[in-house]
Amino acid sequence: MIQSDKNMTFIERCHEWADQLRKGKSPDWLRELRQQGWDCFERLGIPSVKDEEWKYTNIRPALDHCYALFIQPQLRAVDALPGYRDEQDINIVFVNGQLSRGLSNMDKPPLGMTVATLTELLTAKEGLARALWTTDHVSQPPAFVALNEALAGDGVYIEISDKVATDQVIHIIHLTSASREKVLTAPRTLIRLGKSSEATILESHVALNDHDVYFTVPLTDIFLADNAICHYTKAQKESLQAYHVGTTRVWQKRDSSFDGFSVVAGAAITRNNLDVAIDGEGATASLNGLYSIYKDQHVDNHTAVDHRQPNATSNQLYKGILNDAAHAVFNGKIFVRQIAQQTNSYQLNKNLLLGKECRIDTKPQLEIFADNVKCTHGATIGQLDEDEIFYLRSRAISRKEATQLLLQGFVDDLVGRLSSASVGRKVSQLLAPSLEAVG
Amino acid sequence: MRKEETKLLNEKTIEENILTSRDYKYGFYTDIAMDRIPKGLSEDTIHLICDKKNEPDWMRSWRLKAYRHWTTMSEPHWPNFEYGPIDYQSVSYYSAPQKVKEGPQSMAQVDPELVKAFEKLGIPLSEQKRLAGVAVDAVFDSVSVGTTHQAELAKQGVIFCSMTEAIRHHGDLVKQYMGSVVPYTDNFFATLNSAVFSDGSFCYIPKGVKCPLELSTYFRINAAESGQFERTLIVAESGSYVSYLEGCTAPMRDENQLHAAVVELIALDDAQIKYSTVQNWYSGDKEGRGGIYNFVTKRGKCLGRRSKISWTQVEAGAAITWKYPSCILQGDESIGEFYSVALTNHRMKADTGTKMIHIGKKTRSTVVSKGISTDESNNNYRGLIKIMPTADGARNFSQCDSMLVGNKCSANTFPYIEVKNSTATLEHEASTSKINAEQVFYLKSRGLDMEESIALIINGFCKDVFKELPMEFAVEAVRLLQMKLEGSVG
Repeated sequence: MIQSDKNMTFIERCHEWADQLRKGKSPDWLRELRQQGWDCFERLGIPSVKDEEWKYTNIRPALDHCYALFIQPQLRAVDALPGYRDEQDINIVFVNGQLSRGLSNMDKPPLGMTVATLTELLTAKEGLARALWTTDHVSQPPAFVALNEALAGDGVYIEISDKVATDQVIHIIHLTSASREKVLTAPRTLIRLGKSSEATILESHVALNDHDVYFTVPLTDIFLADNAICHYTKAQKESLQAYHVGTTRVWQKRDSSFDGFSVVAGAAITRNNLDVAIDGEGATASLNGLYSIYKDQHVDNHTAVDHRQPNATSNQLYKGILNDAAHAVFNGKIFVRQIAQQTNSYQLNKNLLLGKECRIDTKPQLEIFADNVKCTHGATIGQLDEDEIFYLRSRAISRKEATQLLLQGFVDDLVGRLSSASVGRKVSQLLAPSLEAVG
Repeated sequence: MRKEETKLLNEKTIEENILTSRDYKYGFYTDIAMDRIPKGLSEDTIHLICDKKNEPDWMRSWRLKAYRHWTTMSEPHWPNFEYGPIDYQSVSYYSAPQKVKEGPQSMAQVDPELVKAFEKLGIPLSEQKRLAGVAVDAVFDSVSVGTTHQAELAKQGVIFCSMTEAIRHHGDLVKQYMGSVVPYTDNFFATLNSAVFSDGSFCYIPKGVKCPLELSTYFRINAAESGQFERTLIVAESGSYVSYLEGCTAPMRDENQLHAAVVELIALDDAQIKYSTVQNWYSGDKEGRGGIYNFVTKRGKCLGRRSKISWTQVEAGAAITWKYPSCILQGDESIGEFYSVALTNHRMKADTGTKMIHIGKKTRSTVVSKGISTDESNNNYRGLIKIMPTADGARNFSQCDSMLVGNKCSANTFPYIEVKNSTATLEHEASTSKINAEQVFYLKSRGLDMEESIALIINGFCKDVFKELPMEFAVEAVRLLQMKLEGSVG
C-alpha cells in the first residue's frame, strides 16, 4: 500500500507514486517507459475545458480528492460478486487494482489461450512484454494514457493463438471497494489475437456500493492479426461517486474484425476513449455504445476511427438515455487517409432526453482525404414518442410501464446484437437500476 | 490618352486572364485615379478615416474603443488551415476613387470609368437598364460609388443607402442598431472592422412594408495593397420583408488581400429577411498564389416573435473563406435558415458553416450545406446548434453533404450540437461521397461528355440550395459553378 500526504496536490501525489514505482524491482526498459509516461503526463498536465478534446467535460472534480494507490479490499472476497460472475467463464478478477486469486479461475485456460497477469508475463516472456509495452507507433499519448503508463502496476495479458476460436467468455472484472479510503487504480490490459482466431472478451468495471469515491484510469490495448475476430465489450458500472477515465486502443490488420460494445451505467464522471486504427485492407470495425444515466452523472464518449488502409468498413452506433440532470457528450471522429480508398464508414448517435435538466453535447466529425469513399454520420436528439405511449396506455399499460417498455426496446436494439448471450445478460443486469429509475 | 491606355490595359488583362485561367473572368484591374491614405494602422489612421468621412463624434469614439480593444487581441489560428502572416501595417485602410470622395451623388454623376467597370462585371448602374427589379449599392474598394433606385424605394419609406450616408442622415437608427448583433469586442476581425470600416450598405424597412425591389450590394476590390472592410446593417421593422443580395469580385494578384466585413441583420416581430450571397472573390492561381482572405462575420438576430432570417450563400471564390453566418433566435417561434454551397478548387480553403442559437420558445432552424471540393482544395463544414435552457420545444434539422472530386482534396465536417433543454428535437445528418460512377455512365451513354455529366450531377447535388436563391442569382450561381469546375474534372 502506498499512502501519501493529504496536503499534496493530485499531480504531486502521482509524482511520488511514479517515483516509488520506478524504485521497485522491474527491468530497466520498463522503468524507462514509466519515466517517459510520467514526463509526458507532466508536460501535458491535467486537461481543462479549454482543450478542444475536453471542451464539454470538466475532470477537475476528480482531482479534489486525496487518493491512495492500491489499498486492501475491505470486504470478504466471497461476497464480492453475487450473480455477476459466472463459473463457466474464464474470470480474471482484480480488486482495487490487485489480482484476487480466490475469485479468478484463470489457471487452466483452454489450449491455445494464454491468460496471465502482467507480472507473470514479465518474468516468463520479457521480450514479448517489452514489444507489447513499447508503443512507439502512438505518436502522442493523451494525458491519462500517459498517466496509466506511468502508474500501471498490474494487469492482464491475453493471447489467443493462431487459428484458435473459442466461444467461452473471457471476463476481466475490475472491482473497486473503498468505503473508508479513496483509491486510484491504473489497470492495464493487453489483448493479442493471432491469425484467424476468435475470442469474446468482457471487461467489467464494477463497484460494490454507490458511495465509494475512487478514480480509475484503465488502459486496454487490443492487437488483431490478419483475419482475427474480437468481440469486445466494456461494461462499466462504477460507484455513482467514482471517476472513470478509460482508454481502449485497437490495431487491426488485414481482414480482421473488431466488434466492440461499450456500456456505461455508472460513475459520476466517465470519459471513454476508443481509438481504432485500421492498418490492414478489408478490415471491419463496429463500435457500438450505450449509455443510460441519471441523477447528475456525466458521460463522455470519444471514438476515433482512423482508416489507414483501403477497403475497410467501420460502423458506429451510440445510443443514450438521459434522465434527471444527466449530461452526455459524444464525439466521434472518422479519419480517412488519402490511401484509404473504398472506405465505407458510418456513424450514428441517438439520444433520448427524459429528464428536465439533462444536457447533451454531440459532435460527430469527419475528416476525409480520399475521394472514393462513402461516409455518413448523423445525430438525433428527441423524446419518447407520445403516440407510442398512448398506444400502450390504451392497452391498459401504466405510463411508467409503457415508458420502460419503450426504453427496453431502445436498449435491446443494441444489446440484442451481442454475439454472446452471457455477455448480454450481464450487460442488462448493469443497466437495470438506471432504467428502473425512469418513469 | 490616359483613357485609352486604361482601356488597353484592361483588355490586355482580360485576355491574359482568359489564357491563364479560364475560370476567373473578373480578374481585371480598373486603372482609375485613387485617393488613398498611407499604409499602416494606428489611432491616427482612424482619425484620418473619420475626418475623410466627416463622421460624428459618437462614431469616432466607437471606432477608437474598438481599435484599443483590438490591440489587446491576438490573431486567431484555430481553423483547419494555415494563413498569413498578415502584416496589418502594410495595408492601406482607405482607398477610394478620387471623384467620389464627396460621397455618392445621383447616379448620373458617377464617373463613367466606374460605370464601365461595373458594367464589365455585369452590374448596370444606370437605372434605365435596371436589372429586373434590383436596386444596387455598388461598393468600390473603400467607398460606395452609387446606389440605384433610391427615389423609388423612398416612396415606400425604405432607406437603402451607403453606410456613410446613413451615419450622416440616419444617425439615430445606426447608433441604435450598429454593434447590437456583432459587438465591437466580438472577434479579432470583427473588431478590426469596427475600428476601420470605411463604408457598406444600410437598409431600413419600415413597419409592414414589403420591399418592392430586391436590394443588392456589389463589392469590388480594385486597388492593390489595400483591404476591404465594409459593414452592412439591415433592420426590418415589424411585419416587413426584404430580400437582399450580395456579390463580390476582385482582380487577380499575387498578394493576399484581406476582406474583413461585418454584416448585422435585425428582424423584429413577424419580419423576414432573406440574405443571399454569391461570393466570387479571386481565389488564387493553381499553385495557391494570391487570392482574397475572406474573413467575414455575419450574424442575424431574430429579435421579434415569429421573425425569420434566412441565409443563402454560394461560396465559389476567395483563397480562404472563413465565415459562419449565424442566427440568434431570440423571439419566440422565430425561424433561422441556412443554405450553403461551397465549392473549392485549386488550393482554396473554406471553413464555413453556421451557428443557430435557440433562445426563444418553439424556435426552429434548418441547415442545409453542400460542399464540393476538387483539385487540392480543402473544404470544411463547421457548425453549431445550441439549444439554451429557455428554448422549450426547439426544433432543428441539419444536413451537410460533401462531394469529393479528385483524390488530392479533402472534406471535413465539424458539427457541434449542444442541447441544454430536454424538450428539444434535433436531427443531424451528413454524408461524404464521390460522384456516383453509375450516374456518370448513364449520362455519358446519353451523349453527354464527362464535364457536362459532372456539371449536371453537381447541379442536382446543389439543387436544394439553388432553389432558395432569387431567380437571377440562381442562374448566375449555376453558371459560376460550371465555370469553376471546368478543367477540374474529367
